[in-house]
Amino acid sequence: MSRLAKPSSLEDPTKDICPVCKSNRYLNPSLQFLINPECYHRMCSTCVDRIFTSGPASCPVPHCGKTLRKKGFHAAFFGDLKIEREVDVRKRVGKVFNRRQDEFETLLDWNNYLEEVEGLVFDIVEGSPKTRAQAEERLKQYREGNEAEIEENRLAALDETEQQRRREKSERDALRQRRLAELREEEEVKMDVAQSKREVLNRLANEDIDAETITKQAQKVILKKTSARRNLADQEASVRESLTIRGLKKKEAPVKEEPYDAFGGMNMEPTKYVLQHHYDHEWLDKTTSGPLHTVGGWDVHDYYARTMFEAFSGLGVFIEDEVADREPVSTAAGTVAATDRVAPKIKFKQKIKMESDDVF
Amino acid sequence: MTTEDERYRTSTQYRLWSYTPSSLLALRTSTNSLAADRVREAVRRSREARAVSSTETSDAERGRSVSAAPEGEVDCLTVEEELKLVRFYCRQTSQLGDHLKFPSDVKVYNAPLINMKSVLILFWQATAIQYIKRFYLTNSPMTYHPADILKTALYFSTKTENHYKSIVEFANVIGKTKAEDVLASEFLLTQALRFTFDVRHPFRALDGAVMELRALASGNVPAIPGGEEPVDLPQRLDNRAQHSYSKANDYLKTSAQLTDVYFHFTPSQIMMASLLLADKDLAEWYIRSKFPASVDPSGLMANKVMGVVEKCAEMMATVAPNSDASDVERKEVSALMKKLKRCRNPEKKDLTALQRAKRAGAGEDEKIVKKRKLEREQSAKEGENLFGPALKRS
Repeated sequence: MSRLAKPSSLEDPTKDICPVCKSNRYLNPSLQFLINPECYHRMCSTCVDRIFTSGPASCPVPHCGKTLRKKGFHAAFFGDLKIEREVDVRKRVGKVFNRRQDEFETLLDWNNYLEEVEGLVFDIVEGSPKTRAQAEERLKQYREGNEAEIEENRLAALDETEQQRRREKSERDALRQRRLAELREEEEVKMDVAQSKREVLNRLANEDIDAETITKQAQKVILKKTSARRNLADQEASVRESLTIRGLKKKEAPVKEEPYDAFGGMNMEPTKYVLQHHYDHEWLDKTTSGPLHTVGGWDVHDYYARTMFEAFSGLGVFIEDEVADREPVSTAAGTVAATDRVAPKIKFKQKIKMESDDVF
Repeated sequence: MTTEDERYRTSTQYRLWSYTPSSLLALRTSTNSLAADRVREAVRRSREARAVSSTETSDAERGRSVSAAPEGEVDCLTVEEELKLVRFYCRQTSQLGDHLKFPSDVKVYNAPLINMKSVLILFWQATAIQYIKRFYLTNSPMTYHPADILKTALYFSTKTENHYKSIVEFANVIGKTKAEDVLASEFLLTQALRFTFDVRHPFRALDGAVMELRALASGNVPAIPGGEEPVDLPQRLDNRAQHSYSKANDYLKTSAQLTDVYFHFTPSQIMMASLLLADKDLAEWYIRSKFPASVDPSGLMANKVMGVVEKCAEMMATVAPNSDASDVERKEVSALMKKLKRCRNPEKKDLTALQRAKRAGAGEDEKIVKKRKLEREQSAKEGENLFGPALKRS
């Protein structure tokens, strides 16, 4: 809060004195200080009127000499003029460098961009006159170079704020509607209760039934009505709620995970043999019971499965037919290697660029 | 679409190490010519260097050194000669594997396990041989001597085939080798293998096939899922299956390793081919039983598979299924060794020294060294910061 400008400052008495005409807030309670973003020198509104009404004039503060116009003067928002100036600079730079995060491919690029912009702002705010001039030049160049994109982004930002505003408005409207509906409902309930009471009284007066049963019936009716109303209200509320909230992300039901298949969908069922539980074997049978094997978890059935698989794995693979298709590839790689300085054994290396050492 | 074939197509052996005969030959030819060019270039460079240094020494010495170095064009190995050499060293690999004794763990195993142990050694040798074969697709024996690569390949396959040995122990068992020599070409081999260490062998497949044949013989077992059990069983099926096992296994151990079948056929086809060589009727009946009329009414698929298996068998039959080289081959190889001595790339002779120099960082760019250092520091820092700095003791 202390950063905001206060009409009177107890800490610093010079703040209450106009540096141009030396008039004092003590003498003139309505004294108002203005600044111009050209040079950020403070002066009272009387001085501004006096000096600049007749057209642009140079700043009356000694050694400033900037030409100022009356139009540019306004009251400072921040008490500290340095901050006022920085905020102004930021606004100006931000209008030019208005890229958005979704324009960048990676977070790193976006962060680098932000850092660059921040550096520019710092140069303008804190830099020496030379760096400041350079930064201004960069800003100008960027503005000229990217006019179209800046405009696009500006419109996009406007659009976004507009949407935000609309959303907020619709939320507010919905809230008000809800409140009104509640009030209306309460009113209805009250009227209902009053009416049923009236009916009960009428019936008690006119009909010839036991008073107790009549009251009981009436109570039941009232209860039914209220519960029905409550249900209705709930339904309405849910409908209304689904209408009010906008811009929610679409929820996608997660795809049900399949059990992991270690073999990538390859069929492991044998087609050329039927695996038996036991095979006669010259010396294998003796190994099935020895602790030397069983302790290690060795199972003769694994061996059966493996040998039978290997007996038929590739029986129907005709290398001469199938490899002929890739023949040009392998010979081409060979000739490439032949022209290369490196030995042809690194054929593989040329197909797939991998970084490996040259062995001697 | 059979699922077993689909699964085989995901293997690196299928994706990276399967070739048609023509593409394989083209690759080998280009490797050979490239290596030959490089050898000539290197020899020329070394001669120039010698000429420069000999001008500084006395005339007498120069005369000797010039006469010692044969001038003229270097006589390089051809593709076929390289192949013969590599095949010889593959034989060596398997013999070396047989003779290597790793003490310490044989004792504790009981009888069936010794069987398993031999299977393990079989896989180990075969994998090493395939590494060597794959290595010499894109490298020439003129550049890197097979005797060097052999050790590294054997060492690598101890790792891939569950036959762990420490490097020191391994070097000791090989004899006349230091750990450094084995490791000298490890990067070289890894890169030439394109970082794929998985080799699909047909041995286990043969085990499976024989197991199933015996099960089929006992009856009540359908040949394919949902099919009926085969009716026209060959005679004495159980007996024949057991007998053909050892013969087929011999083919797989030697013929399949020394020929190029691993590059041209799948393990299952190689296994069937070995069975075909062992017992032709049995193998044919077995393959046809897997393509009954209900699945393959025209019999096209069965015929095609049979054709491929026969082709594979033909290729395998070119090398006799015994581990020792014939006298003719021996003679040829010793001549080739002499020739290789004359046409080796002088710059790549001592891999151990090269590796040592590389470790020391010689010949590397200042920049690369600096970059590596930075990376090391970076990773060390990240490692430290992962869970925050160390707790201070109060």
